[in-house]
Amino acid sequence: MEWHPLGWLAVLCYLGAEALAIVSMRRPRPSTGWPGALLLAGGLALQFADLRLEARALGSVPYRTLGGSVSLFAWMLAIAYLGLQIRHRQQALGPFLIPIVIGSSMIGLLLPFRGSAPTPETRGTLFALHVTFAILAYAAFTFSFVLSLLYLIQNRQIRRRKTGVLFARLPALEVIGQMNRTSVSVGLAVLTVALLFGGVWALRVWGDLTDPKIVWAVLTLLVYAFLLWMDRRGWEGPRVALLSILGFGVVLFSYTVVNLYFSHTHTFR
Amino acid sequence: MTSVSEARLMMLGWNFRVAELAVRERVAFTAEEVKEGLRGLLGRGLVSEGVILSTCHRSEIYGLCDVERSAEELTRFISEWRGLPLPELSRSSLQRDGAEAVRHLFRVAAGLDSMALGESEVLGQVRQALLLARESGATRAVLHRLFESAVAAGKRVRAETEIGVHPLSVPSIGVELATKVFGDLSERTVLVLGAGETGSLFARHAVEAGVRDLRIANRTLSRAQALVERLHGTAVPWESVAGELPAADVVVGTTASLTPVIAREQVENAMRQRRGRPMFFLDLAVPADIDPGVATIYNAFLYAVNDLEEVASENRRRRAREVPRAEAILDEELEKYLSWFGNLSVVPTVTDLRRRLEQIRDGELEGLPAEERERFRAFADSIAGKLLHEPMRRLKAERDASRKLDRVEAIRHLFDLDEE
Repeated sequence: MEWHPLGWLAVLCYLGAEALAIVSMRRPRPSTGWPGALLLAGGLALQFADLRLEARALGSVPYRTLGGSVSLFAWMLAIAYLGLQIRHRQQALGPFLIPIVIGSSMIGLLLPFRGSAPTPETRGTLFALHVTFAILAYAAFTFSFVLSLLYLIQNRQIRRRKTGVLFARLPALEVIGQMNRTSVSVGLAVLTVALLFGGVWALRVWGDLTDPKIVWAVLTLLVYAFLLWMDRRGWEGPRVALLSILGFGVVLFSYTVVNLYFSHTHTFR
Repeated sequence: MTSVSEARLMMLGWNFRVAELAVRERVAFTAEEVKEGLRGLLGRGLVSEGVILSTCHRSEIYGLCDVERSAEELTRFISEWRGLPLPELSRSSLQRDGAEAVRHLFRVAAGLDSMALGESEVLGQVRQALLLARESGATRAVLHRLFESAVAAGKRVRAETEIGVHPLSVPSIGVELATKVFGDLSERTVLVLGAGETGSLFARHAVEAGVRDLRIANRTLSRAQALVERLHGTAVPWESVAGELPAADVVVGTTASLTPVIAREQVENAMRQRRGRPMFFLDLAVPADIDPGVATIYNAFLYAVNDLEEVASENRRRRAREVPRAEAILDEELEKYLSWFGNLSVVPTVTDLRRRLEQIRDGELEGLPAEERERFRAFADSIAGKLLHEPMRRLKAERDASRKLDRVEAIRHLFDLDEE
């Protein structure tokens, strides 16, 4: 196993940001969150440096190994979280979302990074863009999943008049809903781009688009597109949250079962 | 000479815990009366410094006065001034001395002694009381520092505990719940049904919470108009309520109507026009203004008075749980103040004591030849210095501030330092 000092430093930065977010949450008046955002940005830079070192050694974006792809995923999660925090000026969800960044970063660092050399057809820019965008889309969907869970929890607290700690600490339904909308919209747009790159690449290399993974990715696309449509058609709220959870189920299924048993080309080996 | 240790800090008051409303009403002071009262207290030499704190729930006099002055004299002053029978006033008064008076004021400032535990209004009233006393020239070092410390202690308690976080009143709980659905209420439309007491109370609350689009509907339109004029809202004719529903994010029922004013179908229609955006209903009316069936509509939130009262009592328990943490903060602040107060009196006491010993020495040296006088003076100084060294060191090192005050007082008494 390789030792990733930069990667672990990044994890330390994320831990610091999480600690700040929790401290801020416990205060009667939460702070602005700039120190936390700076720590996150520092973590992002360090993790990027680590991934770049790996990429140099491998001669490609490190997505072919389990460690590499999970690390890339973690990095994308951190980007997505920072984007959400800046876009919505909300750090109240930090304590719930940052641990996902930390967890996946650590898993990525503990799994083997170095793998076989990339085959000639997976060396190109097109393929790298396809994988990178796909991973960013999955990061956005992961947050959408967590936000939807938090939405349902807060909705339940409000309905049952449970005005306890969670009620006080979680933002308003409207705010969580908007963050979810942002996550899904970004995820959808990015996944579409990823599929376009992937499609062009597949046609060029395989000559067809029949890989089961592609079918599932298109299904994912449809579920989230339907979700956004529903959101505008008067189903905003718990129903959209439930559908977002279902959408993430599809993502997980395609990432695990489809990868392992159905697709012979879309694997991390 | 007058030094701090021969003066004592005293609090005499009538608050809602000890005095009936009838008494409290007659010892409640306006700002002008507070100044008049302070002039009277200082003019008669009853206190050397004074602050009067007068709120809806309490009237309290904080004074620095001579040791021999008693609470009875202060009570008699109030009795004569306000024309109240002395026995009745004495019976229902609360009196605190020294450190206990300081602690009492700190607890008051932090909202721990308030009827609504943890309320913040009293903090401003404490600040106001100091301001009035300063304008009347009634405060010097001790009470000025006391009230500033009390305000600082109160602020710390608010910042470091959750004692003021959970709302206690029905309208503020309603606003809190609505905020947890919509976030910022400033961009939302609030429709209040009824311009009576409850309606105007809620409307005021909503405006304080930042609501800018406030609409009030009332059967008698003129009453709604009178209310919205003060609150910068819009009056809605009673017949147009159904038409207003789709635009309303928050609907509050406060009418005296015996049958529901808002039917389920109306809300369903409104929801369709809103494309399912959430609606928030608060039914503060008894009997209900809003059909209970509304609660089952998708994305509609409905709360009745009972629901909110449950939350209120839960919140009271939550605030009560914060009391020990608040008291711990007050203990720290109390310690700080008392230690300052103690130091204030040790230094003049030591000076007085040294002067006393010098008087005795000089008396003994009188009549001695000049060269012997020098020798004996050095000898006497050496003994006096060694004798005083340990007690003074211990006095200064005493960390329990209230005990230090006691000891300073004891020294002054035993060495008769106050007779000069």
